[in-house]
Amino acid sequence: MTLSVALGPDTRESTQTGTVTSGDVLTAPDIPWNLVIWNDPVNLMSYVSFVFRSYFGYSEAKANKLMMEVHKKGRSIVAHGSKEQVEQHAVAMHGYGLWATVEKATGGSAGGSGKGKGKRG
Amino acid sequence: MAKAFKYGLKGIRGHLEPAERELLRSLFDDVISMLEPEERANEDPLAALVGLDTDAREPSDRALRRLLPNVMKNDDDASLEFRRYTERSLRENKIGALKAAALSLDREHLVLTPDDARHWATALNDVRLVLAERLDIRDDADADNVHLMQDWAQAEDVESYLALVYNFTTWLQESLVQAMVHSLDARR
Repeated sequence: MTLSVALGPDTRESTQTGTVTSGDVLTAPDIPWNLVIWNDPVNLMSYVSFVFRSYFGYSEAKANKLMMEVHKKGRSIVAHGSKEQVEQHAVAMHGYGLWATVEKATGGSAGGSGKGKGKRG
Repeated sequence: MAKAFKYGLKGIRGHLEPAERELLRSLFDDVISMLEPEERANEDPLAALVGLDTDAREPSDRALRRLLPNVMKNDDDASLEFRRYTERSLRENKIGALKAAALSLDREHLVLTPDDARHWATALNDVRLVLAERLDIRDDADADNVHLMQDWAQAEDVESYLALVYNFTTWLQESLVQAMVHSLDARR
């Protein structure tokens, strides 16, 4: 991802404290698929975070955390669900121009982090 | 000179010079023509109607492959199967956003509703993804090099011209996303 050099960093103080986490409230034990977002050098960090907020309804804090994970680790699991659910998310992400894939979850409830760190697709 | 998008009482406003609008219109049109599916002689009209494309293939063009990526990293067969059911509508949605953004270029002063803004943001993003492939931007260092190109007086070849266009669309998208973030904050 890239940080635009033309505009300075957004200096607005955030008053949000991160209470909205509705998008990923799947609790069933059998939810074996992940939605993965991959890093690329084009998509703006602000845009990726905005997409996570507006599409998944994630809080600003959560969206930024996932965005930074994509940026630093090369990828991040941003949602879980049934195969159909994550495939639907993937198409939506492709619509936004984000590089998304789906994969079978391996081993338990990895809460949106960890695997494949540092890998660049 | 274009003005950065700003969020205010009437929505998201922007201002573009005629030359900038012409540039954006041709960029949007270029990406639209890349995305437009080829006409096929023996196509099943019912399949087309429900968005099924039994002849869908992974695109050979890198830029198009970035716009329409495989849904699975290591399973080409499953990705192709998925592509047959989804790619046509993905193309249509992208074309729809690009056309909507191009339409609003008829006016000098842009006032964008939340839907307009989303169309603009995805249209600019798709344009930037295509330009980045043409500029061979593969990693952050490549992107930083392209960012160094800021002076239109230095545009002496296609590559430097593309870099300037890329930086302009990056700046425009960044300002639009900042305005969209402000509107998101205001609605919460």
